[in-house]
Amino acid sequence: MTVGDTLIAPQASVNPAISIRNVTQRFAPAGGADGVLALDNVSLDIAPGEFVCLLGPSGCGKSTLLNIVGGLFKPSSGEVTVAGRRVDGAPHPDEIAFVFQESTLFPWYTIIENFRIALKFQGAPKSERDDRAMEALQAVGMAGFARHYPSQLSIGMRQRVNLARGICVRTNILLMVEPFAALDEQSRMVLGEDLSILLAKTGKTIVFVTHSLAEAVFLSDRIVVMTARPGRIKTIVNVNEPHPRAPDFMLEPRFGEMRNDLFALLRDEIRQAMALQRDPLKVRA
Amino acid sequence: MSAGFAQRAIQLAFLILAGGAWYALTQARVVSPLFLPPPQAVYATLTRLLATPQFWSAVQVTLTTIAKAYGIAIVSGVFVGYLITRSRFWTDVLEPVIAGLFTIPITLFFPLFILFFGIGPASKVAYGATYGFFPIALNTIAGLAHADERYLRAARSMGASGFDTFRHVLLPGALPVLLTGLRVGFFICFASVLGGEALSSIAGVGRNIALSAELMESARMYAWIAFVICTAVTLNFLMTFIENRAASYEAAER
Amino acid sequence: MSVMDTSEGVFMGMPRARAVALTRWAIVATAALALELYGRFFADPAFMQPVSAILRAWIDPVLSDARIIRALMDAVVEIAVAYALSIICGATIGIAIGVSNFARKSFLPIVLLLYAIPQVTLMPLFILIFGLGAAGKIAFGFSHGVFPVIVNVVAGMRNMNPLYLRAVQSMGGTRFDTLRHVIFPNMVPAFFVGLRLSMTLTLLGVILAELYVSTGGIGYFTRLFAENFNPAPLFALIGSLATIAILFNSLVRVAERRLTPGARAPGKLNLSGAKSR
Repeated sequence: MTVGDTLIAPQASVNPAISIRNVTQRFAPAGGADGVLALDNVSLDIAPGEFVCLLGPSGCGKSTLLNIVGGLFKPSSGEVTVAGRRVDGAPHPDEIAFVFQESTLFPWYTIIENFRIALKFQGAPKSERDDRAMEALQAVGMAGFARHYPSQLSIGMRQRVNLARGICVRTNILLMVEPFAALDEQSRMVLGEDLSILLAKTGKTIVFVTHSLAEAVFLSDRIVVMTARPGRIKTIVNVNEPHPRAPDFMLEPRFGEMRNDLFALLRDEIRQAMALQRDPLKVRA
Repeated sequence: MSAGFAQRAIQLAFLILAGGAWYALTQARVVSPLFLPPPQAVYATLTRLLATPQFWSAVQVTLTTIAKAYGIAIVSGVFVGYLITRSRFWTDVLEPVIAGLFTIPITLFFPLFILFFGIGPASKVAYGATYGFFPIALNTIAGLAHADERYLRAARSMGASGFDTFRHVLLPGALPVLLTGLRVGFFICFASVLGGEALSSIAGVGRNIALSAELMESARMYAWIAFVICTAVTLNFLMTFIENRAASYEAAER
Repeated sequence: MSVMDTSEGVFMGMPRARAVALTRWAIVATAALALELYGRFFADPAFMQPVSAILRAWIDPVLSDARIIRALMDAVVEIAVAYALSIICGATIGIAIGVSNFARKSFLPIVLLLYAIPQVTLMPLFILIFGLGAAGKIAFGFSHGVFPVIVNVVAGMRNMNPLYLRAVQSMGGTRFDTLRHVIFPNMVPAFFVGLRLSMTLTLLGVILAELYVSTGGIGYFTRLFAENFNPAPLFALIGSLATIAILFNSLVRVAERRLTPGARAPGKLNLSGAKSR
């Protein structure tokens, strides 16, 4: 598989889990000028059970896109449908769970209380909450820490728990914003492997934002490469490797090739993004 | 000898030295007993004072005044702080106003409190409540309005209702700052009521200190001061302990 | 949820910052108008008078009575002297305590213990020892103002990224270089937090003492006006003092903005003084 197999048009899926249609996002600035165009006419279909990664330079709008899909932002135009329901700036906690970049476990609650709260917010029946929480904790190997406060755990352990909190609400869709960014490289590889195994079992649809090329190749079925601001889909790369993936996959020559191809695709965009940082008003036509 | 032991020893030595200097100066008659009565005289006066009903009635007047002032300060401070943070706009408008007013000594307005509420405890209640209102309101605003955006976003993504967010995210997040406000507010109430009593009143602990000074009964004044200081230091330890306990989740961080 | 409101842009057709400032002034104007109306039509003139009468009383007698002017000037001098002493002594003691871990752990608890004492109970004692004149008021203001300086200087010297220290060492800097180029500049924001709090407390101390001493100075005039049920000059006198307090506070803020190297210091008010998070 090389870059030649890329698909630019949205994949025509019969019943997509997530359907993004012509989404544009413009952030109004304080002055009243035109504002910043963060996303420009993005369309994408994601099939049920698919693991899709959004990859791009900083500020390309990939996190914005994820927030729009999750209903945290309302797009300036375009629409997103999840399981046939239109997402319009309102979260659908029964369908979609978020795992955020920062460990967003509430520091004032113990781990188990954090899970109970998430399940309570979602509307899960009270009798089920503890069982579901423990089940998710067991899945990430953290059942022994249910009564700890987040501050008593290491960053890696917190991130595991954070992931489990996203799983315990049993949504079909999981949105992850750089969940491993705070970890060192070894930990993120181990956690990535665990994630691959875990998710192969649950069959969830996952959309994932990352900066790490290796992580993107190792975890995704499809990698959506985005341009520097305004964010557009530059290309989509398929990774044909069944889940769960073993660490051996990283040793295969095609793994390295794909990573290099991705870097070649991204390099110009990263330079463009850096230029934008130096001169934020310069927007490519 | 460990460093921790040495530090305790230095602290102890400081206290002993201070006490010793006090004793030595008074024994050597270097300073007039009018300014600095000997410690044993202060101690004797204090034990005598503690046995009189007048002492306890003065303490009762002051404690009642402080309790009323603090109660009003808590209710009004938390309520106003909560109301203001309901809107981002009003937070932006009013927070600097309240913070700015708090940098002016409210003591300036003390004569007005006497003018409006008379020389009895009511003026001290109003004065203490006004002074205590500020730190409580400011910390309520700080806790509620400057909540961590990440937690709010996480709660929203989980489908939390407005009340749920307040109950499980905003309030627990604001609690440490809020408790600091309550502690600071208490000591400001405490000091304002005592100060108000010393400035202008007919009864209470502050009045007794001022009266002893006017009558040049130094040992009596020192005895009262010692009593207040011991009370304040004990209360301070107690409230700091409660505060740290209530926000214990923070303790393990870092 | 209101707190999640991300609209920073336009408010009622004008930039948000201007709308905020305008509303603030509108509140002040409304309050003044309400006081005027209340004072004119509803209040007992023995307790409250309209703003216009207060302004008149401000010109005469407050600003035209040489004795009142003198009392106000005395207060200004007392505040300035007490504040200067607080800064000099506070910084010296703070640096002495903060310079080593051992000294800090030994002496900071003693300072915090003294800081926790409600100094107002010592007011009669200060006046007894230092007399009814300026000395007692200065001493009492100083006893309020010195502690926040000490505590914040110590905190500022402590909150130090050890990497900077190692960087200076690696570049061959001496111990003095470290103090001069790393520790002091790093301390400045915390120092100014201490200076702001110290100003507030110095003002409190001096004014408390001024009001306590009713035989002369401001305390005499407030008592005179209050006992004669003559609220207009009382309000005017208090207003003058409030203006003086505001000017002193602004002075500290301007100095802070001018003298802080690099980034602006965090604008948050350190309410507890002892606890800087």
